[in-house]
Amino acid sequence: MNSKYPKVVLKNFGIIDPFSIDSYIQNGGFEAFKKALKLNRIDVIDEIKKSGLRGRGGAGFFTGLKQNYTISSCEECTERFVICNADEGEPGTFKDKLIMENDPFVIIEGILISAYAIDATKGFIYIRGEYDKSIQVIQNAIDQAYEKGFLGKKILNTNFSFDIELFLGAGSYLCGEELTLIESLEGKRGYPRIKPPFPAEKGLWNKPTLINNVETFSNIPYIIQNGSEWFSSIGTSESKGTKLFCLSGNIKNTGVYELPFGISLREIVYDIGGGMLPGYEFKGAILGGAAGTFVNDNFIDVPMAFETLKSIGATLGSGAIIVIDQKTNLLKLLINIIEFFKHESCGKCVPCRIGTTLIYNKLKYNKLTENEFNWILEQSEYMARTSLCPLGQSPILPVKSAIKYFKKKLLAYGK
Amino acid sequence: MILKKLINMKDIMNVEEIKNILKKFKTERSYILNALHAIQNANPYKYLSEEALIEVAKHFNLTKAQVFGVVTYYSMFSYKPRAKYIIRVCKSPVCYMKNSMNLINYLQELVSKDNSNTFIVENSECLGLCNKAPAMMINEEIYTDLTVEKVNQIIEFYKSKSL
Amino acid sequence: MENKVYITIENKLIEANEGENLLQVARKNGFDIPGLCYHPRLSITGACRLCVIKIEGQAGLVMACTVQVKNGMKVIAFDDELENNRRNTLAYLLSEHNESYDNTYIDELRPLVKRYKLENVNERPISSIWQNIPQKVDDTSPVLTYDSSKCIKCFRCIKACEEIQGKGVLSFADRGIQKYIVAGFGKWGESECDGCGECIQLCPTGAIVEKPNRNKINVNDIDKKVNTTCPYCGVGCQIEVWVKDNEILRVNGVENVSPNYGRLCVKGRFGYQYANHKKRLTQPLVRKNGKLEPVSWDEAIQYTANQFLKIKEKYGSASLAGYSSAKCSNEENYLFQKFIRIAFGNNNVDYCTRLCHASTVAAMIRSLGDGAGSNSIEDFETTDCLIVIGNNIIETHPVTATFVKRGKQRGQQIIVIDPKWTPLVKYADIFLQPRLATDVALLNGMVNVIIKNNLIDKKFIEERIEGGFESFNYLKEVVSKYTEELVEEITGVPRDLFTKAAIMYAKAPTAMIATGMGMSQQTVGTNNVFALLNMCLITGKIGREKCGINPPRGQNNVQGATDVGASPIMYPGYIPLTNEKNRYEVSKVWGVPFETLDPNPGLTTLEIMDAAYDGKIKALYIMGENPVVTDPDQLHTINALQKLEFLVVQDIFETETSAYAHVVLPASSLFEKDGTVVNSDRRVLRLRKTIEPIGESKPDWLIIINIANKMGVNIGNYHNVEEIWEEIRKVAPIFKGISYNRIENQGIQWPCYDENHEGTSTLYKEKFNTLSGKAKIYPVEYQSQSEQPNEEYPLVMNTGRNLYQYHSSTMTRKSDVLNSYLNESYVLVNPVDAKKYNIQDRSKVKVISPRGNLVTTAIVSDEVLSGEVFMPWHFHESPVNALTRNEKDPISKIAPFKYSIVRIEHL
Repeated sequence: MNSKYPKVVLKNFGIIDPFSIDSYIQNGGFEAFKKALKLNRIDVIDEIKKSGLRGRGGAGFFTGLKQNYTISSCEECTERFVICNADEGEPGTFKDKLIMENDPFVIIEGILISAYAIDATKGFIYIRGEYDKSIQVIQNAIDQAYEKGFLGKKILNTNFSFDIELFLGAGSYLCGEELTLIESLEGKRGYPRIKPPFPAEKGLWNKPTLINNVETFSNIPYIIQNGSEWFSSIGTSESKGTKLFCLSGNIKNTGVYELPFGISLREIVYDIGGGMLPGYEFKGAILGGAAGTFVNDNFIDVPMAFETLKSIGATLGSGAIIVIDQKTNLLKLLINIIEFFKHESCGKCVPCRIGTTLIYNKLKYNKLTENEFNWILEQSEYMARTSLCPLGQSPILPVKSAIKYFKKKLLAYGK
Repeated sequence: MILKKLINMKDIMNVEEIKNILKKFKTERSYILNALHAIQNANPYKYLSEEALIEVAKHFNLTKAQVFGVVTYYSMFSYKPRAKYIIRVCKSPVCYMKNSMNLINYLQELVSKDNSNTFIVENSECLGLCNKAPAMMINEEIYTDLTVEKVNQIIEFYKSKSL
Repeated sequence: MENKVYITIENKLIEANEGENLLQVARKNGFDIPGLCYHPRLSITGACRLCVIKIEGQAGLVMACTVQVKNGMKVIAFDDELENNRRNTLAYLLSEHNESYDNTYIDELRPLVKRYKLENVNERPISSIWQNIPQKVDDTSPVLTYDSSKCIKCFRCIKACEEIQGKGVLSFADRGIQKYIVAGFGKWGESECDGCGECIQLCPTGAIVEKPNRNKINVNDIDKKVNTTCPYCGVGCQIEVWVKDNEILRVNGVENVSPNYGRLCVKGRFGYQYANHKKRLTQPLVRKNGKLEPVSWDEAIQYTANQFLKIKEKYGSASLAGYSSAKCSNEENYLFQKFIRIAFGNNNVDYCTRLCHASTVAAMIRSLGDGAGSNSIEDFETTDCLIVIGNNIIETHPVTATFVKRGKQRGQQIIVIDPKWTPLVKYADIFLQPRLATDVALLNGMVNVIIKNNLIDKKFIEERIEGGFESFNYLKEVVSKYTEELVEEITGVPRDLFTKAAIMYAKAPTAMIATGMGMSQQTVGTNNVFALLNMCLITGKIGREKCGINPPRGQNNVQGATDVGASPIMYPGYIPLTNEKNRYEVSKVWGVPFETLDPNPGLTTLEIMDAAYDGKIKALYIMGENPVVTDPDQLHTINALQKLEFLVVQDIFETETSAYAHVVLPASSLFEKDGTVVNSDRRVLRLRKTIEPIGESKPDWLIIINIANKMGVNIGNYHNVEEIWEEIRKVAPIFKGISYNRIENQGIQWPCYDENHEGTSTLYKEKFNTLSGKAKIYPVEYQSQSEQPNEEYPLVMNTGRNLYQYHSSTMTRKSDVLNSYLNESYVLVNPVDAKKYNIQDRSKVKVISPRGNLVTTAIVSDEVLSGEVFMPWHFHESPVNALTRNEKDPISKIAPFKYSIVRIEHL
């Protein structure tokens, strides 16, 4: 871990005992929450707005705006919910796991502050069913939080009462998508809902629901404690704060790195990542996961931030950086990505249910010339325009970018 | 209440045991995934029997198809008997790039030589272990940076454990 | 009052209601935007993606079905991009779809394929992949087959089952492209599916196809499709009957009309087989030398007429009687009672209502002034609190129950009161399970709770109850004895439970009651309903919208038959016949001398049978009734019939009763004639002829007129049934404003006093129909049954119904579909009793009462309380009425079918 960059979310990493809430408290834990409780709700939301914090799950929606929307969407509603999306499933992403296994308490504190801000009554953490260790750590953290009075009725002698329950996913990537997660949390098959209405208006059981990613919540206590100015001084003009990047591939130092927005890909790969393993050359990366975009080595100096990547037609996504090298069989990789979407498609809407299979079949069982790739691109575009949810709208990202930057290689593999 | 506390390996699952597990969950439909995990993990062959599904339907006041629909949607559940140890090998892009398919084929062959219901090999999507790819899980345990030698050792270990 | 908004579609200005669904608005205005998963009766799905449109100011493509119209919206529905997109979507669907078509269902995909020029396989942009998707076929249901290769995964069937019928029996299994529909764990025949067929009706392709007649039907070659009313229960569902070569091949629910809005139950949808059944009576029969022989109509009618005249002369007019039919139309019932009163010269006309809701009607008429339900079927969904007492509504009135279940989905509170568990209990907030025949104690106790908690409606009591607070105080005194302890002791219901129920009912902003046979068919039936009405009146839960009391009626025209005068005490329109002025008016309309109309009330149904037994009734004319199976104390009934000198049975099949007849006249079924019926919520509904009369059978109204003519009696010259209805309108003011024309598409609820009146959905909004215009409280006391369990007969038998068979099952047991669900008798025995009397589950047992015995199969079940057993009465080989008794409720004259002492012996 490079110490020249500010640490926000991973501040307690390696310092506290994830199984001991006392160690968290000793290190300043829950001070931010106590501070928030003394503020007006609207002021807490304001602070988050001013900080410029954006969702860290992939969509990048401004968190403060989301909070505001949730509390103001239905004035008469007496019930609001907070959901922590811990269903980390984007291939190449493993940052939430790290936070959960090493500092579960900051997540809880972030949820508490958000819950207070939007006047919510119940919280839910929806977690990957496969993340056994995280489940244990988080459950223990929740239990200890209750013991210490940070959860339950009239917390810290205020009028604020809040409960958190842990719910397990069971092997569905799509349930990491907001509207599908809510369906799953209601105990049903994971089908995405139509939006609008958005969860902030009608979410869990049709009540206003704030749903954010683990990493997003983990930022919140630090913003409240250190101030929005401090937070917004890190990062770029439109992407404030730090991001947990997940570096994988044939690179020396794979792992999770907390780095400020705006850092270049070169710095990540070569300085922090230590460069390629012997025998491997950097040829590019997939940014954002399976629902992400390929970039080739021309883009090594691109600053990693929402707006800068968008301007080159790439995605930040979850922060996954899957490095590809000269030995990578790009066609097989692309087929693997499409197979992933095919496997995870819920099957509700026609374009995605059938399109993912059609594209997969074309890639896997055909000789691929320019025509076939054009056809695949067309279908991906059709799917992106017509599908119900982000999953169907995703194949276009890797397909278009792979064809754009690696056409020669793909055609070569396609013979 | 930690969900994992409920997991006790028992040799035979009968309706009473299933009902006892269900008692610990409220009857709101939201708890169905948690309950299905608990029941499945308590079964020696890591699956959800028809009796279990019927009890789940009764507990949550759902129809049989509604329970069956949930069970068959989520990859982690099985309504057919599996084995004592579920080997989930990741085949998502990063592990795939690191040749996890070879390991899957290797394991399939290895396991097929073994007649008892000790192992079953399943594909899995991303397990969040991409920095140590290729990776697999055997029940709740994680194994990373896999090679054929490592896999051999691990299987041997489990074989001896189950004797 | 909805706000109007203005939008443009393809530059055309359209008016719509604010918030209306855009796809519906577009289609209504001639823009045929394609779509497959959308259905106006279901929630929005957005799965097929065919209804893509563009909205100005919104990026990307939008699904029209997901949009609610807002003022100023500008919509593009058909441009090149949209049409190409739709064509691609259809191409995708086709690649996943097994196109083989056998004309046995209506396919909504095929017309779209044609429209978008994708018929030619070679011109399709996407090749077929469906052959590589695992095909799941489920053929285990008696009513349908599911084929996943034809499924377009539109969710319609799942939603139909969940949202419309409230059952939720279906779901997808698996995920992605190989997902498929399951019921149960993949075997439809072993699931909770009860065969209502809602999914069949809504499936847009051949994924779910009806099984019956699949080998015969060609949907493109149907002779006619006729809308008529279902011949079974009193919900009055509108059905569309498909006929080919004079055979009924299919029945669908008629969309968009009351009372059922497209919904049906398994009997209505699949129970039509009886009409074309080979055992239909096709010729008149006369008993010669002890055997029934076929004869000509002339001979049969002449013989009948002669016999009636002979007996009338020999024994006097009081020696004849007639049973009218709840299964015949209003016109036929009207003519029948006219016949009895004019040709027989007495008022001995009654019918099965005396075995059914007699107590309910008797109490309601005295208390409220009308003997019909006060609300409409839609109110079952919108009322805040519903009490269902003594009524197994899900099995006996399945379509009404769909409204109840939808009400539940909206947060309705449901209280079920029944000595036996019923399927509605799963949806109930509170279930009270009192011991048989203790209802008065329970209800008085609940009234006491309401009074003690001061939850009465003072204004209502003052203004709308006769005697105001004086009457109330008398009631208060009577019920004060029914303390929580006493009630719990008598009924066995825990005190906090009935207290909670009473308070829930009293506090609800609006509340309705559905009351059934459990209440009415007792020796204290009338008192039961009085007690219920008292609770309703003091809380003011009647006389306004979504409040009232409703007896769901059992037969398609049991309501109408009394409405048009098939009654020993009332003329058509509930006009008492004892009143001279009434008799005068009626005699004028009928064109008969005033003196010929008998001023004395006639005998009721069971009294007629008793009189036959005593030798006082010598001739009995039975139209569409089967007393050997339906009347209490079967032995008594058989003996009575055997004593008759002349018995005429007019029916569509030979029955257990016609076996004793001297003349059997073949009548046409409800599918073979025009007319009207009245359902449970007072709706006058059209009956239409779908097939020609089978064999030589004739519509009942023609037979009655023929007999009258041969007797030299003029009961009217009618060319068609509409003329009969016009006369009914003249005689009964409640029907005055209802003409055939006005009910061409949908029924109208009586009272309807003139042609501009739209009918009455809620009764008593201004006043009650009593003389004073106010309702009456009738305080009643609990009385225990005269027959009590003893050592010889330690158990009490309750009787009732099952969804799959209907009453004496003359019609339903001719249906293969219904028989495959249930075709044998059973008795439910509580596990404690089973152990005590050594009864094994599914073993043959003998059930014995002081009246007789029968053999049936025992099912050990905790649906019944210990000490009580339950039998359905549909099966003549295990005739429940061999066990029941003939004691009568003093006011309603009904027999206590719900309470007989028995013992059970294993065989």
